[in-house]
Amino acid sequence: MSVIDILTRVDSICQKYDKYDVAKQRDSNISADDAFAKLYASVDADIEALLQKAETAPKEKTKASTVAINAEIRRTKARLLEEVPKLQRLAMKKVKGLSSQEFAARNDLVLALPDRIQDIPDGTPAPPKRTGGWAASASRPGIKFDSDGRYDDEYFQQTEESSRFRQEYEMRKMKQASLDMIAEGLDTLKNMAHDMNEELDRQVPLMDEIDTKVDKASSDLKNTNVRLRDTVNQLRSSRNFCIDIVLLIIILGIAAYLYK
Amino acid sequence: MAASDPNKLISKADKLTRLSLTRWNADWKSATVLYEQAANGFRVARDYVNAKIAYEKASKGQEMLASPWDAAKHLESAAALAKDLSNWQEVGDFYRRASELYMECGRPQPASDALAKGARALEDSMSEEAIQLYTDACTILEDDGREQMAFDLYRAATNVYIKLEKYTDAASFMLRLGLAADKCNASNSQCKAYLSAIIIYLYAHDFKQAQQCYNDCYQIDAFVRSDQNRCASKLLAAYSDGDVEEIKRIAQSSTISNLDHVIIRLARKLPTGDVSALKSDNAEDEEQPLDEDDLT
Repeated sequence: MSVIDILTRVDSICQKYDKYDVAKQRDSNISADDAFAKLYASVDADIEALLQKAETAPKEKTKASTVAINAEIRRTKARLLEEVPKLQRLAMKKVKGLSSQEFAARNDLVLALPDRIQDIPDGTPAPPKRTGGWAASASRPGIKFDSDGRYDDEYFQQTEESSRFRQEYEMRKMKQASLDMIAEGLDTLKNMAHDMNEELDRQVPLMDEIDTKVDKASSDLKNTNVRLRDTVNQLRSSRNFCIDIVLLIIILGIAAYLYK
Repeated sequence: MAASDPNKLISKADKLTRLSLTRWNADWKSATVLYEQAANGFRVARDYVNAKIAYEKASKGQEMLASPWDAAKHLESAAALAKDLSNWQEVGDFYRRASELYMECGRPQPASDALAKGARALEDSMSEEAIQLYTDACTILEDDGREQMAFDLYRAATNVYIKLEKYTDAASFMLRLGLAADKCNASNSQCKAYLSAIIIYLYAHDFKQAQQCYNDCYQIDAFVRSDQNRCASKLLAAYSDGDVEEIKRIAQSSTISNLDHVIIRLARKLPTGDVSALKSDNAEDEEQPLDEDDLT
């Protein structure tokens, strides 16, 4: 059995036994003089009772009792459908101590009631819903859970909701996993950024020192250049050139004399 | 140049420096030049022993010529050669002397660099001496006000302590790192140092000490506001709950993976010893005040 099947069946179990919890909830929630709440509570209780009866119907030994139960269900459904307009009128009335959100919610609840009532199975063939994918679970004969083949479509109705939940759950799980990866990456980045920050702080005074030293060195060079230029100019002055040329001529003369 | 030339240079230089009847002043200038040439020649010829000796003599010559910078440089080269020769005692001595000469020049940065190089060379062989050298290097930098450079030295010293399994000393070095970081407002390094100290205490299975350390560090604003604080508190909570899985999970977290690799190795090996014993101790301490029958 796959996890999906387990989830589906757990959903059904919870729904089956929820009526006990819901009753307690409703009892605690109903305030004294709220007519709408009282009526709605009673309609809800009737619907739940009908659902239960509908589930027990196929277990009857004789066809006759099944038919009788179905007829009963249909009668109650008709009665409940008549209650709905009354509920709607009551919902329109403003009751003191009621928040505007709850007021809007009441309207929605009333609107949802007819659908719920119609959906109660009463033996008429219901339109097929999502039978395709669930053949696998239906084909396990040994594992029975308060239904037979006849109630497969109700099963599938339920699983429509639970499959939506399942999809949402899986999407959220994927999102969570990718968010975790992003968080890890960000942590690494933050650490690297901090370390770079500290390294740069460390190097700032060194750069200042380098700056000073280079400034000193360049000013020294400038001084030296100026002095050198002066010295070379002095050396290359015209008087020295003339002396050089004269001496050169004298030397050439002596050499010529020696070699002649 | 033939290989025997360095030898000849050395003997010539020695002659220049040896005082005798004919020579009353040693001619250090030319001798030093000759020594340097000889040393280079020996190094090229891979004659490390003689090269080392030549460098030593060259350094002595530079000292005589009142240039401690060159002397220190030569001593460093000599020390590097001594390291190749695995002459550890000499390595230590040379680096120390070089560092002293650098300080004479008024350059503390190269002084501490020399000590750090010595310490790194001696890490495997003479670990105690290495730690001493690291400590001295850190002191020099702190006196100069350059604690930022000391971070690496502290971390290296801590690694050596951990290798020697002296965990309390290692943790105290980390706390000194934290102090130095505090002075330069390097909050990231500071918090990492404190977290590392706590992990070291936990690795030594000294939970009380770790708790105390955490409480001390909690007084510091920069630590309180940091990721490392959260990680430390989670780790200590997991320890007091005796939850081994939680401890392992925290050790895999990215905060711890950003620390020094030696510390990461320690963290991955946590928990050492019996964590449930710690849990029961804590539980006993807590249950006594809840005794309702005690009417006092």
